[in-house]
Amino acid sequence: MNLILKKEQLDHQLNAWRQDYEVYAPQSLQNFTHFLPLQDGFELAFDKAHNTRIPPKALFLPTSEALLKFTRFGGYEEVPLETTPRLIFGIRPCDAHAMTLLDTVFEQERYTDPHWKTRRDATVLVGLGCHEPCQTGFCTTVGSGPFDHAGLDAILTDLGEVFLVETLTEKGECLFPQLETASEEQSLRASELQQAAKASMPVAFETEGLKEKLDQNFESPYWEEISQSCLSCGVCTFLCPTCFCFDIVDEAQRGERVRNWDTCMFRTYSLEASGHNPRPSRVERTRQRLSHKYSYWLDQTNQIGCTGCGRCVRYCPVGLDIRAMLRKVNQLPSEVTHV
Amino acid sequence: MPDIEALKAEAKRILSEGMVDMVIGFKAGDTPLHPQPAFFKTADEVDHLVYNALCQNNLATYLTRFPKTQKIGMLVRGCENRSVNALVFEGQHPREGLYLIGIPCEGIIDWRKIVAQTGEELYSVTEQSDNTILVESKSGFFTLEKNTLLHESCARCIHPNPVSADIVIGELLPEGDPALAREKVAAFTDLPIEERYAWFRQESERCIRCYACREACPMCYCEECFVDHISPRWTESGTTPAGMQGWHIVRAFHQTGRCTSCGACERACPMDIKMTYLTEKLNDDMRRKYNFEVGMDTTTPPPFSTVTLDDKSRFVV
Repeated sequence: MNLILKKEQLDHQLNAWRQDYEVYAPQSLQNFTHFLPLQDGFELAFDKAHNTRIPPKALFLPTSEALLKFTRFGGYEEVPLETTPRLIFGIRPCDAHAMTLLDTVFEQERYTDPHWKTRRDATVLVGLGCHEPCQTGFCTTVGSGPFDHAGLDAILTDLGEVFLVETLTEKGECLFPQLETASEEQSLRASELQQAAKASMPVAFETEGLKEKLDQNFESPYWEEISQSCLSCGVCTFLCPTCFCFDIVDEAQRGERVRNWDTCMFRTYSLEASGHNPRPSRVERTRQRLSHKYSYWLDQTNQIGCTGCGRCVRYCPVGLDIRAMLRKVNQLPSEVTHV
Repeated sequence: MPDIEALKAEAKRILSEGMVDMVIGFKAGDTPLHPQPAFFKTADEVDHLVYNALCQNNLATYLTRFPKTQKIGMLVRGCENRSVNALVFEGQHPREGLYLIGIPCEGIIDWRKIVAQTGEELYSVTEQSDNTILVESKSGFFTLEKNTLLHESCARCIHPNPVSADIVIGELLPEGDPALAREKVAAFTDLPIEERYAWFRQESERCIRCYACREACPMCYCEECFVDHISPRWTESGTTPAGMQGWHIVRAFHQTGRCTSCGACERACPMDIKMTYLTEKLNDDMRRKYNFEVGMDTTTPPPFSTVTLDDKSRFVV
């Protein structure tokens, strides 16, 4: 159903939600924006940056979290699951789409991650579509889009003085009991805006046949070439909305088993206890990052493991651009270089 | 600004005369704010060389990746030259295996300062001859004063000129004033202890432990960093206050007498964490207490890297 939320009503609406939810929305932190819980007198920061620096995955998979507490004498207790109802307001469609990809990792039939699932179940996602898509983004290239509905309970389209609200799930419908229905003219305008936004985004690289190219060029000198300037830091993967790797560490002094973000770009990620490292250099690690997103994800879920948010492009300290890297993959020969 | 054609000509010459196997410099990036470090192996490739105030990386960080037998040419600004010297002192590459093309440096622009004024959707950034930057962004054209955009490390730079390059391209610049660097240090050290700790906490505890600072730093080349060490464990692993504070303070201390104040760590940080105030304090101590500045040559040992039998305090021997 299409509803109309007047911009002057927005703060009132957010405060109303605060009665029932812990409400997160993009707010300023240092020089960037961040999903922070709304406090009294909050100021939203939609105008400051297109996307938050840290993707909202961090609200479901924190950078570090204790999984259980233990004592020296063999006793342990589980850490209670977080069940506080939360509403995330202003999440962009790329980030919401990423949540559905991460669900395939953390909510599998045989193994479900209780921390992830509990937080997901307790959270409502109200998205803000991108009527002015960002330059580094390439959502339409990878099967998402500036008004992608995936993962969202409701999505807003900015019509100037009002937002057009499309409720997408039952949870979403319950969120806006007071709003008027949108007129046909408003719905039409929104739909035109959405189409125009989508049409304004160029194809960043060819996805057709990309997986095959990656698989066929596993041993290509291409990897050496593109990884030369890579620092092998964690910026691209930690700021990525779909990267989910973690490491589990026992912090003996604190008596906690902790899950920390980890990344395939780190040397220690693939270092084995024997001292052997199957991905010893930046060459193999860069190949892993790209191949995972554009080949191995397809093997596992038939979806590309990237939603085109563009954070890795914007914040890479050496200016590496995944779009340019993949355009070069498009040019690689189609021949089997490994068996 | 150095003449880009003169830089290219020199890079081509040393490649075609076989003096070096490779020249490390920059090439145009895929986005307007980020020229990329580049590795030119033939004279023809050097056509792609670019150099401007947005070249934010310290190229010396790549030096330790190559075999010591490889002959390497490198574009070096003041800080890079000193980092190279420090690495040569630490035995990371023989000086005779290097050819340094020096550039007197007018300072690196902090792209964050551009974005703060123009918004983040940029189409082009052009350095103009009158010390201004012309930015074309979604919200229009902006002419910005370059001096207002310099990264803090560059605004307080003491040695903008290469100290031991094989050739210098461009006019030498006046040296910076150490008092400026000290001002920045004092802004931190003059605070009451509680406020200093609050500052340290506020900055360090925003960390996500991506280690971009470490990887961007030429002097962080340990085969195994202390944070990656499992037994014994030196710091907590995660983003707990203890873990983040531990990382930031020990990282800084490991740089004592080794840091050239290039600021590459801060420029690489995705969380805009201020961290050079820690290393600047240590650098200031080195200058004042030991009259030492790292990398001014390749032979003077940093004070904390030496042990002599007549040391005043007997903590090691």
